[in-house]
Parts: sequence; structure tokens; C-alpha cells
Amino acid sequence: MTVARVRAAALAILLVALVAVPWALPALGATFWVNIVAEILIWSLLAASANLLFGFVGLLSFGQALFFGFGMYGVALSIEAWGFGFWPALATGVLAASAMALVTGVMAVRLTWHYFAIITVVFSLIFYFAAMSMKWLTGGDDGISFSPPSVFALGGHTLSLGDATVQYYVILAIVSACFAATALVVSSPLGLRFKAVRENDRRAALVGINVYATRLIAFVLAGALAGASGALFAFFGRYASASYMFYHVSGEAVVWAIIGGSGTILGPLFGTGLLIVFRELVSTVWEHYLLAVGAITILVVMFAPRGLAGAWNGLVAGLLDRGAEEPRRAAIPEES
Amino acid sequence: MSDAGVALSLSGVSKRFGGLVAVDGVTIDFASRRLNAIIGPNGAGKTTLFNLISGEIPADAGRMRFRDSDILGLAPHEVVRRGISRTLQIKSVFGGLTVTDNVRCAVLVHERVMAPLRPVSSFRAAAARADALIDEVGLSAHRHRLASTLSYGDVALLELALALAAEPRLLLLDEPVCGMGPQETERTVDKIREISRRVDVILIEHDMEVVFDIADFIMVMAQGAILATGAASEIAAHPKVQEAYLGSPEDD
Repeated sequence: MTVARVRAAALAILLVALVAVPWALPALGATFWVNIVAEILIWSLLAASANLLFGFVGLLSFGQALFFGFGMYGVALSIEAWGFGFWPALATGVLAASAMALVTGVMAVRLTWHYFAIITVVFSLIFYFAAMSMKWLTGGDDGISFSPPSVFALGGHTLSLGDATVQYYVILAIVSACFAATALVVSSPLGLRFKAVRENDRRAALVGINVYATRLIAFVLAGALAGASGALFAFFGRYASASYMFYHVSGEAVVWAIIGGSGTILGPLFGTGLLIVFRELVSTVWEHYLLAVGAITILVVMFAPRGLAGAWNGLVAGLLDRGAEEPRRAAIPEES
Repeated sequence: MSDAGVALSLSGVSKRFGGLVAVDGVTIDFASRRLNAIIGPNGAGKTTLFNLISGEIPADAGRMRFRDSDILGLAPHEVVRRGISRTLQIKSVFGGLTVTDNVRCAVLVHERVMAPLRPVSSFRAAAARADALIDEVGLSAHRHRLASTLSYGDVALLELALALAAEPRLLLLDEPVCGMGPQETERTVDKIREISRRVDVILIEHDMEVVFDIADFIMVMAQGAILATGAASEIAAHPKVQEAYLGSPEDD
């Protein structure tokens, strides 16, 4: 067996498991957990957004919640104000987030490292306070509620988010499409430019890469991912609230991405899954459960610096490639 | 050099860092089809001059003509697109990528390919060119290794492959054999000599043996300015050069 085959098999198992969730969990008497898995899927896109920037382009953003918020309000306002259907509202959310990422990115990606991290926090704080105070538009902390339009309506049949199973599959389909698109981009020549900029921006410029434009493209794509996450979360919760634009939310996404494995495709999903499950199990019995999250983060960074996905890739490569002629390039988490 | 033309023409190029004049009114035509070398004591402004040419730092004054266009003020990636590639004194590659991905990246960038939804591996022609470049610099055995695991000499060769991927018409080499053992030095010098038959080369080098061995033309810099120019034999006998090198204790 080759590393590629093990990975393909693991991916297939993961997909089958995710598809089986709406039947399997209720059968096990855990109907409540279907929505938790849906929530994990949604939040994993925000983690994927932070990961696209940090893991693939080398930019640490603590401001992705800003675009999550724009995704939420894009959906909520377009449904409330213009009576948009499901798909146009989703597109509006993603586009609003991408446009915002373009506007802020033009300034932010001129900076790198801590300067970049700081400016992303600053942008998200500015818009957080703006959204909080513009109650007439955003509803502030209370947010605005809406009733979601049907996903499909054909003849007499409608698919509605009111059905938990339909809602789960709609979320799974959109999240899967986003991860597949990310995987495509990352393995394309554009993705190679991302990694070149991450590895060595000086050399990247000297082979002819426009480093600024490359970072800006990544920033907008990451904004779109965060926007998709926020848009889905708005549909899921039937409301949008400015409180989700706070930078704590961005920070959580960064932690999920790092624990899951930055620089991998599916790492953010694993990190988000682990920590949300942990939260659901522990937060009810221990209010200071975040202390444990901090400890987990420190342990992962110390003992599995490439996160869960990186550790898994290393394990697979180590078991299968031992003694093989090929050096251990598979230890670098590109896929999985 | 008669009809071969000019590889790069500098006139009055200057750069000042605060009170320090790093490059002081450098005016020179580097001829085409000739291996040009720049030597000079530490701090003479050689690398700064390269940084000015490659667009990494803006010049304060002067003109730079390359192939009938003024390249002064262009960003580094634009300078590369015009046909000037360079290597760095501290060898610089994409450490976390394999040797193959390093070179493929440079080839695909040179071909202006972005194609965000097509896998890198589907670009067969680019892959073939990358493989040819890897063979050319002699790294075929290390294709699948991460660049960060290569020996220093191999990193220098990989960097050379990255520079060549842009099909440059002028190659700037900043201390190409610095930090190399005798065998690696010999291999690299042979490679540079071979490349200089089809690409114009300007190199900075501290190893005088290497310089006098391969350079057709030498420009000596001291304190940001040109001290002397000429063929190797003229430079070796030049009293000012001897003074600059032997007269001050900080030089090697």
C-alpha cells in the first residue's frame, strides 16, 4: 500500500462517516449531536480560512471573524431587505466577505508577521464596534433574526432547512465543496506561489512572483471561506449578530487550525471537531474548560507541531515508507 | 567585446543610507558575452549595487539601462521579468518545498501560469523544463528531497536553477562559491563558466583565485565607488587595488 492509497481510503471513510451522521447518531440515541457535527462543519471553514493564510501563505490573521460577520450579515440582510432566496443570499454573504477582504487586504497585506496580525485585529475591532453601534442596521449584540427561505423548490416539493437532515446535508455539501476548492487551489500553480511566498518571500520576488498580489489573492480567498462559514452559520442559527465579529472568534479559528494542523487541507476540520466536541462534553461540567483547551494547544504545539493532521501524515508515512528509497517527503502535510 | 553590445549600463547610480554613501555615482557599461566580476573589500557596496539593480532597494539617483529600457524603480519581480535574475550571498531557496517543487514554481512563474484550479502536476512541459534544469545543475539525485535538507553547496546549485528558470539574459551571482569546499567550488565554477557562454554574467566574489581564474573583466569597488576596471592581469598589477586590498587590515 502506498501513502496515497491510505490517504484516499481515510478520506473515503471520513466522507462516509459524515454522510452517515443523520442516521447513525440518532440510531445511537444521540440526535442532539447531529447539529453539533453540522456546527463543526461550519466552523471548520473559518478555521480553514485562518489556515489558508497562516499555513499556506505564512500570514497570521486574528481578524477572520470580520469576514465571518460579513458572511452572516450578507445572508441576513439580503433575506430581510430584499427577500433573497437561499442561494442568492449565500452568494451575497460570500461576496460581501470577499469584497471586505479585498478592501482591508489592500492595506493589510503590505505588512507581515506581527504587524499583519495586529492590523487584522485592528480592522476587526473597528468593524466590530461599528456593527455594535449601528443597531438600526445590524441589531447590534441582539442581532437580527430571519426565517430562512427554502433551499430548493420544484413543483410541489421543497427542501427546507427546517428539516434537520436536509439542513445537515446542505451544510455538508457546501462545506465539502469549499474544502475541495481549497485543495484544488493549493495544489495548483497559484498554490505553489502561496507556498513559495510562505517559505521565502524574498526569493519568491526574485523568481518573479508579485508577492503583494499573491498575498492579496490569498487574503480574498480566505475572506471568501470565512464568509461562507458565516453565511452557513447565519442559516444554521437563523440570525446574524455583531458579537460574532469579535476577535475572540478569530482567535479560536487560529487555535483550531493550529491544533488540527496548519498547512494541511483537512487539519482545520479535525482541530475544530476535537475542540468543539471537547467544549460540548466538558463545558457543562467545568466552566473553566478553556484552561484545558490552552493546555491541549500547548501540548500539541510542543509534541505535534504540525497538528493532528501532520501527526497522522507522519504516522502513515513512517509506517509505510520505512526502509523505502524515497526520502520522507510525505511527512510534509500537503494533503490529508 | 567589440560588437557584442552592452549587458547592463549604469550611470551615476547612487545610494545613501543616512550618512553612509553605500554606492557612490557608479557609472559603467558591463559588456555582453563576457564574464564580469565585481571585487572589493567588505563594505565596498558590491551587494548594495546588486540590490539596486534587482530592485530590492530604491536608488537615490542614476540611470540603469538594460536592453533599451530603464529598469531603475522597477519592483524585483518586474526586473526578473525583464530578464535579470540573481542569486544571494546567503543562499536562498524555498526550504519547505522539494527540489522539484522549488524549480517547478520558478518555471511556472516564469511562464506566467496561475491556473488556480489545475494541479501543478498537469503542466507537463513545465515539469519537463524543471527536470531539465535540475539535471543541468546536477541535483537529479535529490529531486524529491526537501530543499532545507540539502547541503550548502547543493542549496547554491538549487538557487542557480531557480535563477536560470526565468531564462535570464543577465545573471547576477553574489559570491557563488562562498562557503563551499574545494570540490563544490570547482563544480560550481565550471557551471558558471558554462552558463556564461549563453547568458551574460556579473558576479561578486571574494575568492580571488576564482575571480582571476574565470573573469574576463573586473571592476574593483571601494567605499561605494569604482576604484579600477580592466582585465584580470591589469587589475592584479593595479597599485590602487593592491593598496585597497593589502593596505587595510580588515580584508582577506
